[in-house]
Amino acid sequence: MEWDWGIVGRTFDLLLMGTRLTLVLFFFSLLLGTVLGLVLALMRMSRYRVARWFSLFYIWVFRGIPVLVILFFAFFVVGRQMGLTPVQAGILGLGFSAAAYIAEIIRAGIMSVDQGQSEASEALAMTKRHYMRRVILPQSIRVIIPTYMSNSILVLKVTSVAVAIGIVELTGITRQLSNSTTRPIELFTAAAVLYVFLTTVLVVVQEVLERRFALKT
Amino acid sequence: MNALVQVTGLRKSFGDNEVLKGVDFEVERGEVVAIIGPSGSGKTTMLRCINLLEQPSGGRIVVDGRVVCEEAEDGSMRFAERGDVREIREQVGMVFQRFNLFPHMTALDNITEAPKSVRGMSKEDANARALELLDSVGLSHKADAYPLQLSGGQQQRVAIARALAMEPALMLFDEVTSAVDPELAGEILLVMKRLAEQGMTMLVVTHEMSFAADVADRVLFIDHGVIVEQGQARDVLTAPQSPRTRAFLHAVLDRAPMAEDDGSTGVGEEAGFGGSDLFTEQVAADPEAGPDDG
Amino acid sequence: MDWEVVWESVPLIWKGAGATVSMFAWALVIGTVGALALALMRLAAAKPLQWFAIGFGWLFRGIPLLILLFFAFFALPELGILLSPFLAAVVGFSLWTAAYQAEVIRSGIIAVPPGQSEASEALGMTKAHYMRRIILPQGLRIMVPPFTGNAITLLKQTSLATLVTVPEMALLTQRIFSNNFKFVEPIFVLGMIYLAMTSVLLILSVAVERAVSLKV
Repeated sequence: MEWDWGIVGRTFDLLLMGTRLTLVLFFFSLLLGTVLGLVLALMRMSRYRVARWFSLFYIWVFRGIPVLVILFFAFFVVGRQMGLTPVQAGILGLGFSAAAYIAEIIRAGIMSVDQGQSEASEALAMTKRHYMRRVILPQSIRVIIPTYMSNSILVLKVTSVAVAIGIVELTGITRQLSNSTTRPIELFTAAAVLYVFLTTVLVVVQEVLERRFALKT
Repeated sequence: MNALVQVTGLRKSFGDNEVLKGVDFEVERGEVVAIIGPSGSGKTTMLRCINLLEQPSGGRIVVDGRVVCEEAEDGSMRFAERGDVREIREQVGMVFQRFNLFPHMTALDNITEAPKSVRGMSKEDANARALELLDSVGLSHKADAYPLQLSGGQQQRVAIARALAMEPALMLFDEVTSAVDPELAGEILLVMKRLAEQGMTMLVVTHEMSFAADVADRVLFIDHGVIVEQGQARDVLTAPQSPRTRAFLHAVLDRAPMAEDDGSTGVGEEAGFGGSDLFTEQVAADPEAGPDDG
Repeated sequence: MDWEVVWESVPLIWKGAGATVSMFAWALVIGTVGALALALMRLAAAKPLQWFAIGFGWLFRGIPLLILLFFAFFALPELGILLSPFLAAVVGFSLWTAAYQAEVIRSGIIAVPPGQSEASEALGMTKAHYMRRIILPQGLRIMVPPFTGNAITLLKQTSLATLVTVPEMALLTQRIFSNNFKFVEPIFVLGMIYLAMTSVLLILSVAVERAVSLKV
């Protein structure tokens, strides 16, 4: 069994191209998922039954179906209808999927804020809109950060599923390269290292954010 | 002149559990009414019904001429509309057992938040008023401190200032010293005593009998969801009519079982339980003199 | 949406359900056993064992599941290990499950208040005894929700086996629409079948949670 670790060096620029695409998928789907997730979370807690039910339904469906299937739908159905590129369809599918999880994370964070905070705000005659914005949400961010960040790490790894709709991100390019060079061990190891590196960066970001939002004691 | 607070036939159930079984009382302007009773008696629930933090299951509550809730002809409850509830709450300040300060804001910001958003006060006016209030509770030097940097007694005093910033006509106190270390309770009670002397109408749920004896005009004793006894503070505390009241006061004041049958509980100067004595001790732990940083 | 195509697709896609459920079951069982082993290693006295467990978890949770699957499918043969697509998939899923569930088990044990161990020791119980009778039962209660959550995720992740040519439901769906170019209907059916399966698992998890909850 002879190794050729040099293959990693020779294909590194291609691996980096794949990484770039992974990051594009990651950032934009996370952005879409967060905005949509926030909307869904607020709907889930709304006064209006329709909003609550829609949100519940959405979360049930998008958490009950594999990302692969959602990507198929985004690419083969929605993408073809709207003339989207694979990457656009990928961002759409990944984003809508992530939104369901992020919605629950945000909702859990908001609910974890002590009930006394809303009671005190109500006793002070504040409107719900006002105290949600000024008292509850700021405190919920502190709680949300850890789960949100660990979910983001998942989002990063899930970008690999985009291979299934032909997007040549890091996993995709590695598979192609390993097939053409017949050096799967070296190349997949390299891909693994790159993923671990990206994941670690996110972990560091998480620590920084946790510190920044900690309560002053 | 109409009473500031009128409560008639107040009932409240949580599911199957009937916590308040028909409560009637009134509070005149400028009165300080202490509410005492064992845990689970419903006293906190009763207080929270007044500003609709709890929705009563039956009865009628009127605060400052405004209907908070009342029973319709068919027996269903009608509550004040959202906008009216807020107007009522502007007139009713509340201080909680667990303080409920906003931990992500400084003491000053805690106090100015409501006046700015609800009353539309300018930042400068709100800040100025907040500093005055902080000064009156002895904490002007802690304006920029965050709640978690303050002791329990300090946090509660900020909470009182926060409620006062809205210039309410009525102040509700829900066991405000129960979650505080005993040696810090005094500074809170002192602030409340001064407030009472300034003529604030106060409804105080408390276990501090010395406070009730010294500061309250009237005392209500609640047990198992009904008012067992109410009357002038001195009367209820030193010569209660009902055996249940007597039993409660004995238990709370940790006195030996009574030998005399004259109904006296020993609460009063003869028993060395001079309200003023106890208060002098607590006054000595004056916040301005004591070490606040630590 | 052409409902005739929908009804036609159902039996075709359902043929893959056996493979889906089978991979799920195998990986769950093997993975959980592995997770127990890893959790015990984490709590063992011997440092090398601890480090192995920590390293294992860090590695197999840090990389995408698909990389694991591809490694099992493409790379293992280079090392002389030739596995069928099904087996390669099961290997990948099991490693992934073991890493995640090990974390769940460990968190469950840690979450039991230390006062429980202290009280047990003060009562003179041996560690083996109170681990078994006091700590584990309580830890189990805490573990159930995240454990079942991971299991449901595993079921969904079996769809990735399509990329290593296992004939499970997603692959069969692709066969359908690459033949007749009708995309909406088969994908819809695929989604509904998964939704049904995960919903059943959800109901089961709620039942299990209730069964182990404290009587209050």
